[in-house]
Amino acid sequence: MRYTLSKVGLLLLTLWAAVTLNFLLPRLMPGSPADAAIAKLAQNGPVSPSTRAAIEAQLGVPTGSAWDQYLQYLNNVVHFDFGVSYTFFPQSVASLVATALPWTLVLVGFVTIVAFIFGTLLGVLAAWKRGSWLDTLPTVGGTFASAFPYFWTALLLLFFLGYVAGWFPTSGAYSSSATPDFSVAFLLDALYHSILPATTILITSLGGWILGMRSTMINTLGDDYVTFAEANGLHPRTVAIRYAARNAILPNLTSFGLALGGVVGGSLLVERVFNYPGVGYLLYTAVVNQDFPLMQALFLIITISVLLANFIVDILYGILDPRTRR
Amino acid sequence: MKQLRGHILRTAFAVVGVTALLATSACSMNVKNQASGPSDGSLLVAADNGSPTFEKNFNPFSTSKRVATTYMYEPLRVTNTLDGTATPFLATGNTLPDAKTVVYDIRTGVKWSDGTAFTPADVLYTFNLVKATPALDTWGVWQHIESLEVVGDTVVFHLKTEDVPAASIIDQQLIVPEHIWKDVKDPVTWKNEKPVTTGPFVLDTFTANQYTLKKNVDYWQADKVAVEKLVLPAANSQLDVVKNGYDWAYAFITDVEGTWVNADKQHNKYWFPPGGTITLSPNLTRAPYNDVNFRQGLSLALDREKIATDAEQGYVDAAGQSGLLLPNQEAWLNADLPNEGVVAQDKTAALAAFAKAGYTQQGDKMVDASGTQLSINILTANGYTDWLQGLQTVQSQLGALGIDVKLSQPQPAAYTEALSKGDFDIAMNSFGGTGSVFQDMNTLLNSEFATPIGTGTTGNYGRFSDPKVDALLAQLKASTDETEQKAISAQLQTVLYEQLPVISMFYGGLWGLSSDKNFTNWPSEKNAYAPPNTWNSTPLLILTNLKKAK
Repeated sequence: MRYTLSKVGLLLLTLWAAVTLNFLLPRLMPGSPADAAIAKLAQNGPVSPSTRAAIEAQLGVPTGSAWDQYLQYLNNVVHFDFGVSYTFFPQSVASLVATALPWTLVLVGFVTIVAFIFGTLLGVLAAWKRGSWLDTLPTVGGTFASAFPYFWTALLLLFFLGYVAGWFPTSGAYSSSATPDFSVAFLLDALYHSILPATTILITSLGGWILGMRSTMINTLGDDYVTFAEANGLHPRTVAIRYAARNAILPNLTSFGLALGGVVGGSLLVERVFNYPGVGYLLYTAVVNQDFPLMQALFLIITISVLLANFIVDILYGILDPRTRR
Repeated sequence: MKQLRGHILRTAFAVVGVTALLATSACSMNVKNQASGPSDGSLLVAADNGSPTFEKNFNPFSTSKRVATTYMYEPLRVTNTLDGTATPFLATGNTLPDAKTVVYDIRTGVKWSDGTAFTPADVLYTFNLVKATPALDTWGVWQHIESLEVVGDTVVFHLKTEDVPAASIIDQQLIVPEHIWKDVKDPVTWKNEKPVTTGPFVLDTFTANQYTLKKNVDYWQADKVAVEKLVLPAANSQLDVVKNGYDWAYAFITDVEGTWVNADKQHNKYWFPPGGTITLSPNLTRAPYNDVNFRQGLSLALDREKIATDAEQGYVDAAGQSGLLLPNQEAWLNADLPNEGVVAQDKTAALAAFAKAGYTQQGDKMVDASGTQLSINILTANGYTDWLQGLQTVQSQLGALGIDVKLSQPQPAAYTEALSKGDFDIAMNSFGGTGSVFQDMNTLLNSEFATPIGTGTTGNYGRFSDPKVDALLAQLKASTDETEQKAISAQLQTVLYEQLPVISMFYGGLWGLSSDKNFTNWPSEKNAYAPPNTWNSTPLLILTNLKKAK
């Protein structure tokens, strides 16, 4: 009980720190949102002097002392009111996030779970059949694929499968003419559009799970209880799965928890390459346009989900491993 | 965090770069060209990029409005920003009884797309709405207008001062219907999802990935509109533009011949007229940049042709010191300027000018009287890769004279802030391109913009200040006679040429791509009736001039 309480206390403290940092960071960045808006317009050609005044009047400049702004901000955060986006003025931040979040949760979340399950299984197999092709192929292949940067794999898939072969759509989460609803036709369309981005994330993240699982598994395989189980004549599969893998999976489970927390942040570069309307792309747009309200909301959501994932893993550890409770 | 952000951005730019690379190799890879079949009167245009999808916002006053909003709403007149000629739209013309009054004859027989008649009262209402809500005044019309009134079929504007060029600003205000907007609670945040307009197109379908406009059958010059339907997708990557058979696109594509033209050699054309002048803008409040000899030295040391070629792959010309966009503004050029104002590289003359400013070559270094090497810092924005390439050439050309050139490249927002507050030695910047010689020169030279360093300004970033020039600008502003205007403009060009408040390098191009497969009569070098850009009101000129291909 004391363990749980102390973890809850820690969670609240880090939450406060994250929220406060989140308030400070955008204000430390050079340039104002109006500067960013003008810089964007200026790429099309020189901006007339009067445009600036109108832009500043439209966006509004934060008023009051820094302390008042901070209190106002805390109050808004509690009420999930993040104000109006500068980039998508006059769209509210909450509505933008609400539109982007499902795409990322489904795409990145689903792929993360699949990658974890497949990667871990392959890792177990590789460690168990050490030295055979079942070991070398996933290990070398996984290392090779995960050494590629995300966006590079994305661009290769996009160019060759999307443009040259023309098998898959090259951008967006659904067809231009479609409107999002829950009809079978739309879901199939969305699924079709998600194949390339999903494959990209799968290819690049699979390797990590394989390697992580393989190395801890090899460690456990050397332990006395595994030798003892083998000596007792248990079926090899039982030894591999129920004795070795069960213990070896703990560290992988921790990173899985964290990975799930990070899902909310989306996959910025993959979403950018495929024009996928998720949180990652939204974050990119917010940063490039100095869109403080949008940035704050996104950072906050990402921080909270990572903190919560951390918290849950902490609590789980307390249950799984009695030693940590002391 | 800042580092991470930099990292993300750098990576993102790498992505864009690699995409461009892939686009280049696309020609040899033989990308499938899915050009559309026989023309059904629809025109596919890469004009509006979603981020990555569209938000529905057709408020003509909003800066984040959908680009095609300006294809639906009309202003009084549309000026071809290349040469300054105006075409009447909602006004049939204007007259200036004196330098303080502009009278617009309002077109009769025009209908809003909901059937209501358009009247001069709508014009009056629009301007009064903008006055009551300064956030809507993106053109700054009320910096010029004192009052306005409807007189019969005309609207009379009384100006604050003798202000002839004000008409070119009043021209551009998009007119909105009073019967709709009078009930809008907050015109700043209103998204105007069902636009009621007078223009050649009305909104047809809208999804987050694509929207379409259809021809307004009741348009007052409907006979001039050949396009039945405009299609605007949210995703217009360079690969899409090359592959999908676009009719019109605005994009800078590496190796345009090998990519865009190669995709359909018979039909795909490009035209990159100058849309502004890219300059080095010295901070005239700092030494040694306040010394005209020093600026002469810098100017003579540059090989502008090479800079232009390196920055924009040879698609634009080097710019002269006249401040004009040539050849389009040729009529305004001061004939006395040698070589049309273009300064050729002359290292001997450059060294002589630097010597006058107190800098001499010692060994391979340019040093001041105390023997310290001359070191200058040039400001540009991170991610403007073409500018950076141009600057690297500047760096090596000045380096050849022994000058140490450092480049600082903050994020675009920070760059804009530094520029506005005057926090730089030399800034790379662009000016001009409004179509009005007065506006271009005024924003560049008027001491009214030369606020103290540390206080933001919106023009004349180098803080040039000369009472004689201010007087010339005031004269130009009050002049109704074109011959006189040209004479004053010629004097201003001489100031630019001799005093070098900015050092012109090359023209910023307007990257227009068009295909005459479905529609012909696109603006081109020979027929420069409009700039090829897809934003603001000039597309109205294009959309009322296109013809169906036979």
